[in-house]
Amino acid sequence: MAGPIRVLMSKPGIDGHWRGIVVVSRGLRDAGMEVIFGGFQTCEQIVETAIEEDVDMIGLSIHSGAHIGYTKRVVDLLKEKGLNGHFLLLVGGAIPSKDFEVLKEIGAANVYGPGSLIKDIVAFIKEHVKK
Amino acid sequence: MRTDNLEELIAKFKQKDRRALARLISLIENDPELAGKVFKHFNKPNDAYIIGITGPPGVGKSTLINQLAQKLAEEGKRIGIISIDPSSPFSGGAFLGDRIRMSGLQQDKIFMRSMASRGAVGGLSRATFDICLLYEAFGMDIVIVETVGAGQSEVEVLHLADTILVINVPGLGDSIQCQKAGIIEIGDILVVNKKDLGGEEIAVQLDLILDDAVMYIGQTGWRPPVVQTNSISGEGIDELIEEIWNHKEHIELAGILEQKRQKRLKDKLIALIQFKILNYVMQHIYPTIEKTKLNNIYENKYNVYDVAQSIYNDFFSQLKGRES
Repeated sequence: MAGPIRVLMSKPGIDGHWRGIVVVSRGLRDAGMEVIFGGFQTCEQIVETAIEEDVDMIGLSIHSGAHIGYTKRVVDLLKEKGLNGHFLLLVGGAIPSKDFEVLKEIGAANVYGPGSLIKDIVAFIKEHVKK
Repeated sequence: MRTDNLEELIAKFKQKDRRALARLISLIENDPELAGKVFKHFNKPNDAYIIGITGPPGVGKSTLINQLAQKLAEEGKRIGIISIDPSSPFSGGAFLGDRIRMSGLQQDKIFMRSMASRGAVGGLSRATFDICLLYEAFGMDIVIVETVGAGQSEVEVLHLADTILVINVPGLGDSIQCQKAGIIEIGDILVVNKKDLGGEEIAVQLDLILDDAVMYIGQTGWRPPVVQTNSISGEGIDELIEEIWNHKEHIELAGILEQKRQKRLKDKLIALIQFKILNYVMQHIYPTIEKTKLNNIYENKYNVYDVAQSIYNDFFSQLKGRES
């Protein structure tokens, strides 16, 4: 029996831009998902939280310019624990479009820059979460 | 890929695999019938101590748990936490925000899980008791259950926890608020958090009221202490832990702990019976009624009481049919 989709929304590193993650989290809540709001977390905390909360998706919100480094760190930690591919990984924030492909090569299923629509994010998650 | 294979998960769970624990929580949360299959594999007695934490939204429950759990972990205890936040009555979704107050938790001794209430209204979720048992089977010494932000009547935690902390803060009302029935009565320990905002006054009020409440105290012989805390600085946490152990000792000696454990098993049994019977009726009898009679109810041709009675009669005759 499948329950609601569970997602973890986190901001890795030190980056105070809070609005985006709150708006998207609220949108996912309104789409019927259970959103575990991680807030500011280290990459290690993000991976540990995703395990404890048994989420389907990890959402990283990054506005610091360090999106490649943090995304790579999270994917590396998941690989170390043998969890590569367990979670749908989405990255969003102030990310230049030229980096989208780089993030996807690292392991992000999709990337959402400024101007992204919540309904597109919801549709993507619903389509790709393995339930 | 994530596994849903029960045998495999239970084998890993017995080796203290946190991922297996996390996955089993989800499976039981999604399918209450599964709990029976899972618990067949364990025969551990119920010896984890359950601490319930309740109080209005924003009083500092999660932050207090962060402090409590860290201190208890330093004493060598293994701790399972369940924090419940409400599900939306419209979308079914939930924003589970307790975790951001608990960033200091040590991973090896503490397991924290956020749960959505999923339509339950008593301040807990339907699977809370099952998850407490699962934590016990995992070897937790203490389970901390944080209710949804409670108003006046979300008192279900009373039937689940061994020691209940009701958290309050200065500025929520006058002494009349403290006289009302409901949540304020269920606290074994009353905590006035955010001490820095002037908790002295309300602590004195509560103390005076408790002195008057002889009747209530007479039932258990326990006079709830009032503890002032600051869950950010950690002030008062040691005193709070001391009071928790005092209460534990009191209820153990008075035989109340045993009664509580029996009561919650009895409650669970009744809840399971209700669930199973209702489930049967909704699957096998209600669908036909919905098609044939519901419109007639709307149009005032039947009344709801008669239809409910006929559903009950159908249920009964189906049971008889099964016997023969």
